[in-house]
Amino acid sequence: MVGLAYDLLANPQGAVRSTFEKAVASSGLDFDPASLDGKDWGALHLFRQFLFDQTHLSQVPILNGETVKWVQPNTLVRFRGMIQDMLGNEFYVGAFKDGDVWRTNKFMDVSHFPMPMASTSSSHMRVWERRLLYCVPVPGRNSWTEPSSESLVNRCVDCSSQQREKRRRMDDESVDHMDMLVSDEGFQGSPSTKKMKENGHPSMSSQTKEPINEGICSHMSTVPSIDSESLPCLVKIYDSPESDLKLNDVFEFIGVLTFDSEVSMDKDDQDELSNGFSEDVLVHLPPNKVPRLHCLIHRKLTVPDFLHSSPIMEPRPHVVREIRETLLRHLTAVLGDDSVAAHFMLLHLLSRVHTRVENLAVGKLSLNLTGFSKESVSLFGHRLSLAVKDLLPVTHSIPLTVEYLNSSSLAPIKDYETNRLITGVLQLAEGSHLIIDETQLKAGTLNSVGVDNTRLLKNLMELQKVEYDFKYYKMEMAADVQLLIISEGKSNILPADIVIPFQPTSADSSEVVAAEALEAWRWYLATVKSLPHSIESEMQKVVENDLVEARQSDRSIGSQDFNRWLTMGRLMSVSFGENCLSLEHWQMVKELERLRRERLK
Amino acid sequence: MASDSSPANFNGPTSPDDSYSSPIGNTFSSPGDARRRSRRRSTTPSAFATPPPNQSRFATSDANPALTPTPSSRRGGRRGGRRATSTTPVNAAATPTSTDDAPASSEGGEGYDADDARPTFVWGTNISVEDVNEAIYRFLKHFRDSSTASQSEDGLLREGKYEIAIKRVIEIEGESLDVNARDVFDYDPDLYTKMVRYPLEVLAIFDIVLMNMVGRINPLFEKHIQTRIFNLKSSTSMRNLNPSDVERMVSLKGMIIRSSSIIPEIREAIFRCLVCGYYSDPVVINRGQITEPKICLKEECQARDSMTLVHNRCRFTDKQIVKLQETPDEIPEGGTPHTVSLLMHDKLVDTGKPGDRVEVTGIYRAMTVRVGPAQRTVKSLFKTYIDCLHIKKTDKSRMLAEDPMDVDNPTGRNVEDISFDKEKVEQLKELSKLPDIYDRLTRSLAPNIWELDDVKKGLLCQLFGGNALKLASGASFRGDINILLVGDPGTSKSQLLQYIHKLSPRGIYTSGRGSSAVGLTAYVAKDPETGETVLESGALVLSDRGICCIDEFDKMSDNARSMLHEVMEQQTVSIAKAGIIASLNARTSVLACANPSGSRYNPRLSVIDNIHLPPTLLSRFDLIYLLLDKADEQTDRRLAKHIVALHFENPESLEQDVLDLSTLTAYVSYARKHIHPQLSDEAAEELTQGYVELRRRGNFPGSSKKVITATPRQIESLIRLSEALARIRFSEWVEKSDVMEAFRLLEVAMQQSATDHSTGTIDMDLITTGVSASERMRRENVLSAIRSIIMEKMQLGGPSMRLLELLEELKKQSPGPEVHLHDLRNAVSTLASEGFVSLHGDTVKRV
Repeated sequence: MVGLAYDLLANPQGAVRSTFEKAVASSGLDFDPASLDGKDWGALHLFRQFLFDQTHLSQVPILNGETVKWVQPNTLVRFRGMIQDMLGNEFYVGAFKDGDVWRTNKFMDVSHFPMPMASTSSSHMRVWERRLLYCVPVPGRNSWTEPSSESLVNRCVDCSSQQREKRRRMDDESVDHMDMLVSDEGFQGSPSTKKMKENGHPSMSSQTKEPINEGICSHMSTVPSIDSESLPCLVKIYDSPESDLKLNDVFEFIGVLTFDSEVSMDKDDQDELSNGFSEDVLVHLPPNKVPRLHCLIHRKLTVPDFLHSSPIMEPRPHVVREIRETLLRHLTAVLGDDSVAAHFMLLHLLSRVHTRVENLAVGKLSLNLTGFSKESVSLFGHRLSLAVKDLLPVTHSIPLTVEYLNSSSLAPIKDYETNRLITGVLQLAEGSHLIIDETQLKAGTLNSVGVDNTRLLKNLMELQKVEYDFKYYKMEMAADVQLLIISEGKSNILPADIVIPFQPTSADSSEVVAAEALEAWRWYLATVKSLPHSIESEMQKVVENDLVEARQSDRSIGSQDFNRWLTMGRLMSVSFGENCLSLEHWQMVKELERLRRERLK
Repeated sequence: MASDSSPANFNGPTSPDDSYSSPIGNTFSSPGDARRRSRRRSTTPSAFATPPPNQSRFATSDANPALTPTPSSRRGGRRGGRRATSTTPVNAAATPTSTDDAPASSEGGEGYDADDARPTFVWGTNISVEDVNEAIYRFLKHFRDSSTASQSEDGLLREGKYEIAIKRVIEIEGESLDVNARDVFDYDPDLYTKMVRYPLEVLAIFDIVLMNMVGRINPLFEKHIQTRIFNLKSSTSMRNLNPSDVERMVSLKGMIIRSSSIIPEIREAIFRCLVCGYYSDPVVINRGQITEPKICLKEECQARDSMTLVHNRCRFTDKQIVKLQETPDEIPEGGTPHTVSLLMHDKLVDTGKPGDRVEVTGIYRAMTVRVGPAQRTVKSLFKTYIDCLHIKKTDKSRMLAEDPMDVDNPTGRNVEDISFDKEKVEQLKELSKLPDIYDRLTRSLAPNIWELDDVKKGLLCQLFGGNALKLASGASFRGDINILLVGDPGTSKSQLLQYIHKLSPRGIYTSGRGSSAVGLTAYVAKDPETGETVLESGALVLSDRGICCIDEFDKMSDNARSMLHEVMEQQTVSIAKAGIIASLNARTSVLACANPSGSRYNPRLSVIDNIHLPPTLLSRFDLIYLLLDKADEQTDRRLAKHIVALHFENPESLEQDVLDLSTLTAYVSYARKHIHPQLSDEAAEELTQGYVELRRRGNFPGSSKKVITATPRQIESLIRLSEALARIRFSEWVEKSDVMEAFRLLEVAMQQSATDHSTGTIDMDLITTGVSASERMRRENVLSAIRSIIMEKMQLGGPSMRLLELLEELKKQSPGPEVHLHDLRNAVSTLASEGFVSLHGDTVKRV
């Protein structure tokens, strides 16, 4: 504890409080709490320094279904997730006067000091607001993106045991405080209070027992019903502009974990009025299922962040070229020695929407591999999906059958009863990969749901947009999903940008992929994908001439084809790690396109 | 619990004989502490404000020297207010505490004490009850609509707007008086500010003043009338509600997504002693709770715990909690809609159904979350809601309670009820002053559709429209501009259509293939329940005053198309069937698009043959655009450039100074509603000259054939177009430049559509009769040639000749242009109609 009054990992709230007190003290007697409205008083700076400048970030445990069992409340944790729903704003008493001293409630659920009774004491308090975000682990995330938790566990147990003493004192204090309040009220003779003390209070009683029960596991009782597979988290965001955090964005939130025990009591509360007003949502998100995280620092995650052992490499041309070659070989092997398809596959894996102009999503490159039969699907389809899974962090696959279309809910739907957005299959994080297997589609009748679902898929394909169903109206949300369609003939339901007949020549693939190679490929795909790109004016002329020429010779070529070629050109040169389209790569694109056209004939 | 409580915020209705209940009294019933707390909170922001200058006015009446002048001024004000409104009942906002005042109930006194514990110079600095009282009285008494007041001198002698309204409310025994907040602002901005800032207090005084006035007009009127404020100057976005809005009056737009069942809320309870049957006095609700008397109050009985609630003698009011959600257009990208709870009372209950779009005026409130129902421990959280004062359905723009003002409001008759606030109007006017507004609007129209600038300009004119004219004689001239787009597949016709449909104030989009005649106009149906025949409107009638977009116009059945004749010129739909004879208005612009008959435009055929539409219908379109996919390297290059730029350049540089959709819509609707340009003399002159010029153009020297280049229909079109162009500039006068641009537009459209392919001149005959002048001349040549052949070769009553022989002969005689059998047959049948020859099958006989 040199230099810092509090351990930032184990007692972040202490740091928040002490910085607040410092800020109050520094402004002297005429401290105006309004000056801190929506502002930070230096606490965040402290954390930033600690986490990033002093690189303590890795010591912060990642909250997931596993770690939640032993992570202590009121400690610093990280949560990586996608914003699935936004639950609006919450007003809370940000700062209040306890006697003569200003206290703050920022970054905590429950006040650690007796709050002035609303009906009795002075009016010195400030109301601040915070945003509630409902976050879930990124849907479709592949297991290799999880950091190996083993090392972290050890580290965290270490550091938490050091701090156990202190924290226990803290806990005691707050529990005592709560007890005091409860008993105060209890004397007023309301039967419901007593009842609550007995029944509705499992979490608190477990907390009270904690000092007796030795060991960290005592907290298991607080979180009995968490599905360890997918742990959602209610993140509370402070003082951050609204445009920072958008729906479906993937973020890492670093903040204080709390199990908001008071709300759990609230839900037994049958008071008509408060139920009517309460956000409803919280009732459906009991804290023992959904932990709360008071976010101190949040940062947007991109694909490279998911590579845990990311080798810090400069995307040097020859390295990139090498990796590209091996990856292409790998894809060719996966695709049964069909190198043309492998080339397209590579471009497809690198595609992303980089610009939107009106209704046009520039940069998408959906791929339709045709010519699959029942047999080849079971072999190649499976192999392909495994390969994609190994390469990209977030993947999904949809078996397109009539039953599936008729029954599944692809689009998220707003449920006004619970005031929640019920997620759908197509609520996907940016950069997800989606394989749609159309070979299983048989003749059948679509009901209205099915028709809607096909329309959704088509919209996603053509516009990269998903319509969210808000019951009284629909709202389009931009998406960025790589779509791969496997079908017998050209898919008419889902018109892809590139249709290519798949022509495997060998069926066996005995290739064993080395772990290092996988790592390199993942790094390659993640890094190269986000490279900036431009075009020189000379090359622009060449491209334009080629386009005009093509159109002069064949009137059926339209802007769609132009778009496809240019996207391919961009991706081709990006795949070599280059920032500028060169003639060589443009020729390659034209050659690829020629080969493809030949196959289509 | 009850003992320490509290400011009977609501002691108006306590005494049974007191008919004046606090207007927003019921709002106080929400957990009492919330109100008190939040009220205190609301004061804090001003705690650091400097006292207003007017404090000295009350310094003399300072009752308590220990206090700073500020609170005393308030107190003085209060007392004064009390005197002025001495008939009013005790009310939380006006509750005096000074001992020298009328006996206030103990609860009321306590309430004030609680208030008093606040820092001393608070909201009182801003509100003097007396002042507000007078201000409100003056407003209600003297406010007149500026329009009516200025009408005549005796406007001053007439009664004020709200005096009339009050009388009307009394007459119909209404329960509320709608007060337009803009009126308040116009009359007394200071009062408006106070009302918005401290709504609880000001509204309470408002009601008191109102009831005073009611009492004076009709002393026997017993009902309580509530003030409902609506139409605040600015409405807040739900997203921007923040802690500083708490306890202020706000106005929000949104969509109702859920309403709870009606909750009967108890106001007064009556208890009966089970032992002696004694009925207690009504017990008033207190902080959301009713205290059951512990002891029977009858002196003889005094039984303990014997009191029981008598349900059917209690008083209840309706309450409802409604969830309001942001409208989709307010949601920023990547966000989900916010919701807010509304608390509705009494008459407001069930006024909105889920799905309604409403504008709500109310007080934003925050309420602490209590840990338990009976506990006073509060969490550090607040629940917020809006205490609803007024609700207006925005889609119908009708007031909730029949607003008497609205009925005789002359502007209220306007069908297009898009209201514009002043700021927006200013913004639009600023826009209209830009020199390049015409081009800018053109650019903003379907910016993703590339090129086609002249087509877009035409569509822009259609959106703005010309002036409809109705002469005293009954003749009417349409102001709507009809446009036909004919083009090759893939020239983004449908996209343009969709775009216009989205943009136009009222529009229907149909596809020609799926539309039947009755579906477009109107049809008679039997009501399944009553068996009566009812008239159902079709697409054209529904798009009255809008734009009817018809896709696939060429694939429409002839029958359906013929229905359009009437609509496009007379702008009505006449129905005579099943005993219903009616003429419905269909003042709609038609925007149709069609593929050429052979699906691709055949340049060798005439436009008429390509479009394959009856000329009668065609002439009703003001502008006919041909969107041809010409194999033009220049356009291809531009397309290539465009797409390359799309992929490799910064998107920001691509779309610059383009108006967004909502601004564009607002601009169009404002212009349509408020701008009615007239022809200036100069413009009229230009129009006449241009028209004469246009007609003369056919007679170029050296040409003997007469080509009618323009018809009177064109001059009407030109007037409409120039009016629309003036509207685009928000100009009340059609200038010469507008007329010139209109000519240009017409010419661009006509040159494309009415080019005679054999002469290259504009030929309106092509449109009106389907035959071009040169074609007609050729036919006449063929006719005269055949006539001479027949005169030569055939005798009267002689042997007949076959058509093919005739053709051979014709070819021999005139080696000029090729004559087809088809032309020949036409010519012969013309001769036959003259009675010169008779035609039987293939044989021609001279008669």
